Formats: sequence, structure tokens, C-alpha cells
Amino acid sequence: MAVLHKQDNQPVYVLHTYPFKETSLVVELFSRDFGRVAAVAKGARRPRSAMRGMLQSFQPLLATWSGKAELKTLHSLEWGSGLLLLQGDALMCGFYMNELLLRLLPREDSHDALFAYYGDTLRTLSQNAEHATSLRRFELRMLQEMGYAVPLLNDERDQPIEAERIYEYVAERGASTGVTPLPAANRVQLRGKTLLDMARDDYADSQTQQQSKQLMRMLLAHYLGDKPLHTRQLLIDLQGL
Amino acid sequence: MRNPPALEQLVESLRCLPGVGPKSALRMAYHLLQRDRSGANGLAQALHNALQVVTHCSLCNTFSEDIVCPLCAADNRDPTLLCVVEMPTDLMMLEQTRVFQGRYFVLMGKLSPLDGIGPKEIHLEKLLKRAQDGVVEEVVLATNYTVEGEATAHYISELLRSRGLKVSRIARGLPMGGEIEHVDSGTLAQALMERRSVR
Ligand SMILES: [Zn+2]
Repeated sequence: MAVLHKQDNQPVYVLHTYPFKETSLVVELFSRDFGRVAAVAKGARRPRSAMRGMLQSFQPLLATWSGKAELKTLHSLEWGSGLLLLQGDALMCGFYMNELLLRLLPREDSHDALFAYYGDTLRTLSQNAEHATSLRRFELRMLQEMGYAVPLLNDERDQPIEAERIYEYVAERGASTGVTPLPAANRVQLRGKTLLDMARDDYADSQTQQQSKQLMRMLLAHYLGDKPLHTRQLLIDLQGL
Repeated sequence: MRNPPALEQLVESLRCLPGVGPKSALRMAYHLLQRDRSGANGLAQALHNALQVVTHCSLCNTFSEDIVCPLCAADNRDPTLLCVVEMPTDLMMLEQTRVFQGRYFVLMGKLSPLDGIGPKEIHLEKLLKRAQDGVVEEVVLATNYTVEGEATAHYISELLRSRGLKVSRIARGLPMGGEIEHVDSGTLAQALMERRSVR
């Protein structure tokens, strides 16, 4: 019998795994050509499973799977090229990106540019200690690639953003010069320069770093809804020790 | 046809086991009641008894019937060394090597950010207290070399080092008798990246 819809050696990253039946795992993959794909790794929890040690996040892998339904069958995994070594805080940044993708990326919706950017960000995280800027860039790029509008160059009345002006930024609407009658959680006050810096991908200014963090947090909260992020809560709990 | 309520309740209870779905639970219940009633009786008593007497060692957090487990109570172990592992099975494996003479702390899990398993679930507060008893000098982190195990080791080391303790991590690389030709490229890449100078 021919195996239906078999995909061979697809570039993927493992976003998360969770136990499935007695000895298997469900693997949430982020693939270059098919977006987020869920597949069963049969027997992957057995001690001598060939896949067991490879089902690690943050590593470029090549996956072969088949199936038409939402839950595929994972046949094999191989190491891709260029192994990454995420350590320390960079690991938590990786978990944070994975949680964002699991929460916001719809299944089987291809985002090859975002896939490439995710890999670039992992590489940057593994090499460089300036993680905050990498995360800001990833958050913005992710929302843009997913099709959410984050206008940075013009205000809501289509006037060019002025660097020295103070704006109120509201999700789905963008920057406005007037005062918006919204709860504080749904708007962020910032300088025009912050928006222009973000548009130019320039995070050197410390105020830009601070305001872009507030802006991205507000926008993500808007798209994530009520359920808070586990990774953020974990960092808060660790601070409390 | 419906099963008698007591049988249904047994099936429902068996489903609390990890990886046991409705079908496996039903199969287990039929087996226990039809094929192995004495085994079932033993299971019921053992479970009841274990729930009564098994608790966590106040020092190392592993399962124990006493407030302090036999390993923590032994007087021939080095009290200045404390090895942190994820699970009691890891402790048993390390004990089998007979290489480590210090004491242990068992987290009973690992930080698992995407599953919402945080510092409280892995008893980090208890570990911090244990490691700061004034006698422990070095903490050896023997959590798994998975991304979760690595994250766990990282945060424990940050917390302990800020409190003035020496922290080490068990090494990784080629296995005993490992031949480069046959080792997976993940392990090989790690071994290269973490190479050490030859003394
Ligand atoms: Zn003990």
C-alpha cells in the first residue's frame, strides 16, 4: 500500500513534545514548507528509541512524516546542518519563542520567511549575550509575517511619524496623536523615534529598547488573549526565590 | 450494555496513570478482575500501604518511609558534596557507578517552561535550604542533557552561585568505548564545542 502524503527530509525545529499513549510522543514541529505540524513519534519514549535523543528543541532537524489528518506519523529524524548550542538565559528565550509560535501560529500554514528568521534568531541567541534585542526583533517579525499590521512609519491618519512627537499606540489601529479613551493595558505611550527605530531595526537607544519592549508586550497580550505565557510566569517565579 | 458502577469506577481510576486511555484502562480492569484477582488484591493493599507510609525525605526529597532516608542518614558519605538529579531512578544509576561519595537532592522533575512546570513544582526552595546548610561546599548538577534539564541546571546554578556555593555540571561527550564513526552528530558536535585541554 502506498503511503499517502509522505514528506521526506523536511527542515524542521521541534517546538514541543508531550506524552501520547503508553510509549509515544506527540511532537509539535515548525517546518519550513508546512508551518506548524503535529506528528506522533511512535515508541519515542522507549529507552532505545532512535528518535528519543533527537527530539530536542532549538536544533535544525530533517523530518520525514506521512498522513493526511491533523496528526501525522513521524517516521524519522536526522540532524540538520549547523548544530546550535543554546545555553543559560538563551534557552529560556528559545522556550519563549516556541511558546509564542505554539500559541499564535495556526497549523499547516506555511511561513518560510518566519522559519528562516526563527533559525537566525536561534543562531544569534547561541552566539551573543544581547538577548533582549533579538527577542524584540523576533516578536515584531513574527507578528508581521503572520499578517498582523504593526504600522511603524505612519500614524493612524496616515501622517508620517515624527521622531520627537509623543504618540499613543493601540493594537490594530497604530499610533495616534490624540488621547485614546482605552484602559492602560490596551495602549502604550511612546516617542515617534521608538517607532522609527523599530522600522529601521535599530535598537541601540536605551529608550527605544524600553519602549519597544512595552509596545511588543501590549501587542502580544492583545493577540494572545487572557491566558498568560508560561515562560513569563516561570521567570517571575524564579525571581521570587 | 453498561459495566457495573464499581467496574466503571475502577476503569476511571486507572486512567490517572500516565499514557493510559479508556481502552487500556478497560483492558487492565478486566485483567485484574477476571484473570488475576490475587494480584489485584496485592495491588490494592500495596497502593493503600504505600500511600500511608511513603513520603519525601526531609533532606534529599526522594521517596522515603523515614523522615530522613537511609542514604542521607548514612555516616560514610561526604557531606560537603551535593549532587542534584531529576528523578530517583537517576540517583540509583549514579549510585551504581560507585564513583560519587557525596549526598543527593532529588528534584522529582525538571523545569518545563511550556508545560507550566516551574520552581515550585521541582522544590527549588527546599534545595536552596538544603544546599545552604553550612556544610555543603560544592553542588554537582546531574540533570539530564535535554533542553529542559539544561535550563534547570542553569537556573539552579545561578541561584546557588549567588549564594556563594561552588557549582559544577556533569560532563557530556562521547560514550565509553565510543567510536567517532558511529556516534550521532549531535553528541559529536557537543563534544567538539566543549572540548577540554589535555593535561
Ligand atoms: Zn534523603
